[in-house]
Amino acid sequence: MAYSDKVIDHAENPRNVGTLDKEDPTVGTGLVGAPACGDVMRLQIKVSDDGVIQDAKFKTFGCGSAIASSSLATEWIKGKKVEEAEAIKNSDIVNELNLPPVKIHCSVLAEDAIKSAIADYRAKQAAKR
Amino acid sequence: MDPFATLGAPRRFDLDLSALEKTHRELSRALHPDKFAQAGASERRAALEKAANVNEAWRALRDPIRRAEALFQAEGLAVGETHEPKASPAFLMAVMEEREALSEARAARDLAKVKTLGAGIASRAKTAESRLTAGFAGGSPSKDELATLLPLLGELRFYRRFLDEVEAIEEEAEEAALARANEVSS
Repeated sequence: MAYSDKVIDHAENPRNVGTLDKEDPTVGTGLVGAPACGDVMRLQIKVSDDGVIQDAKFKTFGCGSAIASSSLATEWIKGKKVEEAEAIKNSDIVNELNLPPVKIHCSVLAEDAIKSAIADYRAKQAAKR
Repeated sequence: MDPFATLGAPRRFDLDLSALEKTHRELSRALHPDKFAQAGASERRAALEKAANVNEAWRALRDPIRRAEALFQAEGLAVGETHEPKASPAFLMAVMEEREALSEARAARDLAKVKTLGAGIASRAKTAESRLTAGFAGGSPSKDELATLLPLLGELRFYRRFLDEVEAIEEEAEEAALARANEVSS
Protein backbone atom coordinates (compact mmCIF):
# COMPACT_ATOMS: atom_id res chain seq x y z
CA MET A 1 0.00 0.00 0.00
CA ALA A 2 1.28 3.44 -0.89
CA TYR A 3 1.64 5.88 1.99
CA SER A 4 1.32 9.59 1.37
CA ASP A 5 4.47 11.72 1.70
CA LYS A 6 3.13 13.26 4.90
CA VAL A 7 2.58 9.85 6.48
CA ILE A 8 6.09 8.79 5.52
CA ASP A 9 7.54 12.02 6.88
CA HIS A 10 5.78 11.64 10.25
CA ALA A 11 6.45 7.92 10.45
CA GLU A 12 10.16 8.31 9.70
CA ASN A 13 10.66 11.47 11.74
CA PRO A 14 7.97 11.31 14.38
CA ARG A 15 7.56 14.53 16.37
CA ASN A 16 7.23 14.60 20.14
CA VAL A 17 8.02 10.99 20.89
CA GLY A 18 8.50 10.42 24.59
CA THR A 19 6.89 10.49 27.98
CA LEU A 20 5.73 13.06 30.49
CA ASP A 21 5.50 12.35 34.21
CA LYS A 22 2.14 10.70 34.58
CA GLU A 23 2.07 11.47 38.32
CA ASP A 24 2.22 15.22 37.60
CA PRO A 25 -1.26 16.69 38.29
CA THR A 26 -0.94 18.97 35.25
CA VAL A 27 -0.25 16.00 32.97
CA GLY A 28 -3.05 14.02 31.35
CA THR A 29 -2.35 10.56 29.95
CA GLY A 30 -4.43 8.86 27.30
CA LEU A 31 -3.88 5.21 26.56
CA VAL A 32 -5.83 3.64 23.72
CA GLY A 33 -5.65 0.52 21.62
CA ALA A 34 -7.22 -0.92 18.51
CA PRO A 35 -8.41 -4.49 19.12
CA ALA A 36 -8.96 -4.91 15.39
CA CYS A 37 -5.25 -4.54 14.60
CA GLY A 38 -3.34 -4.70 17.88
CA ASP A 39 -1.93 -1.17 17.85
CA VAL A 40 -1.37 0.67 21.13
CA MET A 41 -0.97 4.42 21.53
CA ARG A 42 -0.14 6.62 24.50
CA LEU A 43 -0.59 10.37 24.25
CA GLN A 44 0.21 12.79 27.06
CA ILE A 45 -0.44 16.49 27.53
CA LYS A 46 0.96 18.99 30.00
CA VAL A 47 -1.45 21.83 30.64
CA SER A 48 -0.62 25.29 32.01
CA ASP A 49 -2.71 27.09 34.65
CA ASP A 50 -4.55 29.02 31.95
CA GLY A 51 -5.64 25.84 30.19
CA VAL A 52 -3.12 25.83 27.34
CA ILE A 53 -1.37 22.62 26.29
CA GLN A 54 2.30 23.46 26.77
CA ASP A 55 3.70 20.11 25.82
CA ALA A 56 2.53 16.89 24.25
CA LYS A 57 4.29 13.55 23.90
CA PHE A 58 3.31 10.24 22.41
CA LYS A 59 4.46 6.69 22.04
CA THR A 60 2.79 4.44 19.50
CA PHE A 61 3.41 0.81 18.73
CA GLY A 62 1.69 0.23 15.43
CA CYS A 63 1.79 0.83 11.71
CA GLY A 64 3.13 3.92 9.95
CA SER A 65 -0.30 5.51 9.74
CA ALA A 66 -0.89 5.09 13.47
CA ILE A 67 2.49 6.65 14.25
CA ALA A 68 1.87 9.48 11.79
CA SER A 69 -1.63 10.13 13.17
CA SER A 70 -0.41 10.43 16.73
CA SER A 71 2.67 12.43 15.74
CA LEU A 72 0.49 14.92 13.88
CA ALA A 73 -1.96 15.02 16.78
CA THR A 74 0.76 16.08 19.23
CA GLU A 75 1.97 18.74 16.80
CA TRP A 76 -1.51 20.14 16.42
CA ILE A 77 -2.51 20.24 20.08
CA LYS A 78 0.67 21.92 21.35
CA GLY A 79 -0.12 25.56 22.09
CA LYS A 80 -3.85 25.01 21.81
CA LYS A 81 -6.36 25.47 24.58
CA VAL A 82 -7.71 22.18 25.95
CA GLU A 83 -11.16 22.92 24.48
CA GLU A 84 -9.63 23.55 21.04
CA ALA A 85 -7.68 20.31 21.18
CA GLU A 86 -10.84 18.50 22.17
CA ALA A 87 -12.53 19.74 18.99
CA ILE A 88 -10.01 18.00 16.69
CA LYS A 89 -11.78 15.36 14.65
CA ASN A 90 -10.29 12.23 13.18
CA SER A 91 -11.46 13.44 9.75
CA ASP A 92 -9.07 16.42 10.12
CA ILE A 93 -6.21 13.94 10.51
CA VAL A 94 -7.45 11.83 7.59
CA ASN A 95 -7.51 14.89 5.34
CA GLU A 96 -4.11 16.19 6.41
CA LEU A 97 -2.39 12.81 5.97
CA ASN A 98 -4.46 11.56 3.03
CA LEU A 99 -5.16 8.32 4.83
CA PRO A 100 -6.76 5.58 2.72
CA PRO A 101 -10.06 4.06 3.96
CA VAL A 102 -8.34 1.01 5.50
CA LYS A 103 -6.25 3.32 7.71
CA ILE A 104 -9.01 5.57 8.97
CA HIS A 105 -9.10 3.64 12.23
CA CYS A 106 -5.59 4.96 12.95
CA SER A 107 -6.93 8.52 12.96
CA VAL A 108 -9.83 7.42 15.16
CA LEU A 109 -7.28 6.03 17.58
CA ALA A 110 -5.43 9.36 17.64
CA GLU A 111 -8.64 11.31 18.29
CA ASP A 112 -9.52 8.88 21.09
CA ALA A 113 -6.04 9.33 22.54
CA ILE A 114 -6.41 13.14 22.65
CA LYS A 115 -9.84 12.88 24.29
CA SER A 116 -8.69 10.26 26.74
CA ALA A 117 -5.64 12.38 27.74
CA ILE A 118 -7.91 15.40 28.28
CA ALA A 119 -10.35 13.31 30.33
CA ASP A 120 -7.48 12.09 32.51
CA TYR A 121 -6.20 15.65 32.98
CA ARG A 122 -9.68 16.88 33.97
CA ALA A 123 -10.20 13.98 36.38
CA LYS A 124 -6.92 14.88 38.07
CA GLN A 125 -7.87 18.54 38.30
CA ALA A 126 -11.29 17.67 39.73
CA ALA A 127 -9.69 15.39 42.32
CA LYS A 128 -7.40 18.22 43.45
CA ARG A 129 -10.30 20.48 44.39
CA MET B 1 -18.86 -18.40 3.70
CA ASP B 2 -18.71 -20.54 6.85
CA PRO B 3 -15.28 -22.21 6.73
CA PHE B 4 -16.38 -24.80 9.30
CA ALA B 5 -19.23 -25.94 7.04
CA THR B 6 -17.00 -25.84 3.94
CA LEU B 7 -14.51 -28.25 5.48
CA GLY B 8 -17.07 -30.19 7.50
CA ALA B 9 -15.29 -29.24 10.72
CA PRO B 10 -16.98 -28.92 14.12
CA ARG B 11 -17.47 -25.36 15.35
CA ARG B 12 -14.79 -25.47 17.99
CA PHE B 13 -11.65 -23.49 18.62
CA ASP B 14 -9.42 -26.52 19.28
CA LEU B 15 -9.52 -28.17 15.88
CA ASP B 16 -7.44 -31.16 14.92
CA LEU B 17 -5.38 -29.30 12.34
CA SER B 18 -3.62 -32.32 10.89
CA ALA B 19 -6.96 -34.04 10.26
CA LEU B 20 -8.28 -30.81 8.76
CA GLU B 21 -5.27 -30.49 6.50
CA LYS B 22 -5.98 -33.99 5.25
CA THR B 23 -9.61 -33.09 4.54
CA HIS B 24 -8.44 -29.99 2.70
CA ARG B 25 -6.03 -32.04 0.60
CA GLU B 26 -8.66 -34.65 -0.25
CA LEU B 27 -11.28 -32.07 -1.18
CA SER B 28 -8.77 -30.15 -3.29
CA ARG B 29 -7.81 -33.33 -5.12
CA ALA B 30 -11.47 -34.22 -5.76
CA LEU B 31 -12.11 -30.72 -7.08
CA HIS B 32 -8.98 -30.53 -9.21
CA PRO B 33 -9.64 -29.15 -12.74
CA ASP B 34 -8.12 -32.32 -14.28
CA LYS B 35 -11.07 -34.28 -12.89
CA PHE B 36 -13.45 -31.98 -14.69
CA ALA B 37 -11.73 -31.93 -18.06
CA GLN B 38 -14.67 -33.75 -19.66
CA ALA B 39 -17.35 -31.86 -17.72
CA GLY B 40 -19.50 -29.02 -19.00
CA ALA B 41 -18.54 -25.38 -18.56
CA SER B 42 -20.89 -24.68 -15.68
CA GLU B 43 -19.81 -27.79 -13.79
CA ARG B 44 -16.17 -26.84 -14.31
CA ARG B 45 -16.86 -23.37 -13.01
CA ALA B 46 -18.69 -24.73 -9.96
CA ALA B 47 -15.78 -27.04 -9.13
CA LEU B 48 -13.32 -24.19 -9.49
CA GLU B 49 -15.35 -22.02 -7.18
CA LYS B 50 -15.66 -24.81 -4.61
CA ALA B 51 -11.91 -25.41 -4.75
CA ALA B 52 -11.30 -21.71 -4.07
CA ASN B 53 -13.70 -21.84 -1.10
CA VAL B 54 -11.97 -24.93 0.26
CA ASN B 55 -8.59 -23.21 0.08
CA GLU B 56 -9.90 -20.07 1.69
CA ALA B 57 -11.61 -22.07 4.46
CA TRP B 58 -8.38 -23.91 5.23
CA ARG B 59 -6.40 -20.67 5.34
CA ALA B 60 -9.00 -19.22 7.74
CA LEU B 61 -9.22 -22.20 10.07
CA ARG B 62 -5.54 -22.95 10.43
CA ASP B 63 -4.90 -19.42 11.74
CA PRO B 64 -6.03 -19.08 15.39
CA ILE B 65 -7.13 -15.45 15.01
CA ARG B 66 -9.08 -16.03 11.82
CA ARG B 67 -10.53 -19.21 13.29
CA ALA B 68 -11.79 -17.25 16.30
CA GLU B 69 -13.22 -14.59 13.96
CA ALA B 70 -15.04 -17.29 12.00
CA LEU B 71 -16.43 -18.77 15.23
CA PHE B 72 -17.86 -15.44 16.35
CA GLN B 73 -19.22 -14.76 12.87
CA ALA B 74 -20.85 -18.18 12.76
CA GLU B 75 -22.62 -17.19 16.00
CA GLY B 76 -23.89 -14.05 14.31
CA LEU B 77 -21.43 -11.57 15.82
CA ALA B 78 -19.68 -8.96 13.70
CA VAL B 79 -15.93 -8.73 14.21
CA GLY B 80 -13.24 -6.23 13.27
CA GLU B 81 -13.10 -2.45 13.44
CA THR B 82 -15.82 -0.71 15.46
CA HIS B 83 -17.60 -4.01 16.22
CA GLU B 84 -15.36 -5.18 19.02
CA PRO B 85 -15.26 -3.82 22.55
CA LYS B 86 -12.46 -1.46 23.56
CA ALA B 87 -9.62 -3.10 25.44
CA SER B 88 -9.65 -2.47 29.17
CA PRO B 89 -7.27 0.22 30.51
CA ALA B 90 -5.48 -2.36 32.65
CA PHE B 91 -4.88 -4.58 29.64
CA LEU B 92 -3.66 -1.66 27.50
CA MET B 93 -1.34 -0.55 30.28
CA ALA B 94 0.15 -4.04 30.46
CA VAL B 95 0.58 -4.22 26.66
CA MET B 96 2.19 -0.78 26.58
CA GLU B 97 4.65 -1.73 29.34
CA GLU B 98 5.60 -4.96 27.59
CA ARG B 99 6.03 -3.15 24.26
CA GLU B 100 8.26 -0.55 25.88
CA ALA B 101 10.32 -3.25 27.57
CA LEU B 102 10.67 -4.96 24.20
CA SER B 103 11.81 -1.82 22.43
CA GLU B 104 14.34 -1.18 25.21
CA ALA B 105 15.64 -4.73 24.90
CA ARG B 106 15.95 -4.22 21.15
CA ALA B 107 17.85 -0.97 21.60
CA ALA B 108 20.16 -2.67 24.12
CA ARG B 109 20.58 -5.67 21.76
CA ASP B 110 19.59 -7.86 24.68
CA LEU B 111 18.38 -10.88 22.77
CA ALA B 112 17.88 -12.99 25.91
CA LYS B 113 15.49 -10.36 27.26
CA VAL B 114 13.68 -10.24 23.92
CA LYS B 115 13.16 -14.00 24.09
CA THR B 116 11.94 -13.86 27.69
CA LEU B 117 9.43 -11.13 26.86
CA GLY B 118 8.27 -13.09 23.84
CA ALA B 119 7.83 -16.26 25.90
CA GLY B 120 5.75 -14.31 28.44
CA ILE B 121 3.41 -13.01 25.75
CA ALA B 122 3.23 -16.40 24.03
CA SER B 123 2.08 -17.94 27.28
CA ARG B 124 -0.61 -15.24 27.67
CA ALA B 125 -1.76 -15.99 24.13
CA LYS B 126 -1.98 -19.67 25.06
CA THR B 127 -4.15 -18.79 28.06
CA ALA B 128 -6.48 -16.70 25.87
CA GLU B 129 -6.65 -19.58 23.38
CA SER B 130 -7.55 -22.10 26.06
CA ARG B 131 -10.33 -19.81 27.25
CA LEU B 132 -11.65 -19.70 23.67
CA THR B 133 -11.39 -23.49 23.50
CA ALA B 134 -13.41 -23.86 26.70
CA GLY B 135 -15.92 -21.22 25.57
CA PHE B 136 -16.69 -22.94 22.29
CA ALA B 137 -16.39 -26.52 23.54
CA GLY B 138 -20.05 -27.09 24.36
CA GLY B 139 -21.90 -25.96 21.26
CA SER B 140 -23.17 -22.40 20.80
CA PRO B 141 -22.26 -20.15 23.73
CA SER B 142 -24.99 -17.94 25.18
CA LYS B 143 -25.10 -14.21 24.35
CA ASP B 144 -23.49 -13.39 27.69
CA GLU B 145 -20.78 -15.96 27.19
CA LEU B 146 -20.06 -14.59 23.72
CA ALA B 147 -19.73 -11.10 25.17
CA THR B 148 -17.10 -12.29 27.66
CA LEU B 149 -15.28 -14.27 24.98
CA LEU B 150 -15.11 -11.51 22.35
CA PRO B 151 -12.37 -9.42 24.05
CA LEU B 152 -10.09 -12.48 23.84
CA LEU B 153 -10.01 -12.03 20.07
CA GLY B 154 -8.71 -8.49 20.49
CA GLU B 155 -6.16 -9.77 23.01
CA LEU B 156 -4.89 -12.32 20.51
CA ARG B 157 -4.30 -9.57 17.94
CA PHE B 158 -2.29 -7.50 20.43
CA TYR B 159 -0.24 -10.59 21.26
CA ARG B 160 0.34 -11.41 17.61
CA ARG B 161 1.61 -7.89 16.95
CA PHE B 162 4.00 -8.32 19.84
CA LEU B 163 5.22 -11.73 18.71
CA ASP B 164 5.68 -10.48 15.12
CA GLU B 165 7.93 -7.80 16.55
CA VAL B 166 9.87 -10.36 18.58
CA GLU B 167 10.39 -12.39 15.43
CA ALA B 168 11.55 -9.33 13.49
CA ILE B 169 14.09 -8.50 16.20
CA GLU B 170 15.40 -12.06 16.24
CA GLU B 171 15.78 -12.06 12.46
CA GLU B 172 17.53 -8.72 12.59
CA ALA B 173 19.94 -10.10 15.20
CA GLU B 174 20.63 -13.22 13.15
CA GLU B 175 21.37 -11.15 10.07
CA ALA B 176 23.68 -8.91 12.05
CA ALA B 177 25.50 -11.96 13.44
CA LEU B 178 25.81 -13.40 9.95
CA ALA B 179 27.18 -10.12 8.59
CA ARG B 180 29.76 -10.04 11.39
CA ALA B 181 30.76 -13.65 10.70
CA ASN B 182 31.24 -12.86 7.02
CA GLU B 183 33.36 -9.87 7.85
CA VAL B 184 35.64 -11.94 10.08
CA SER B 185 36.06 -14.70 7.50
CA SER B 186 36.77 -12.38 4.57
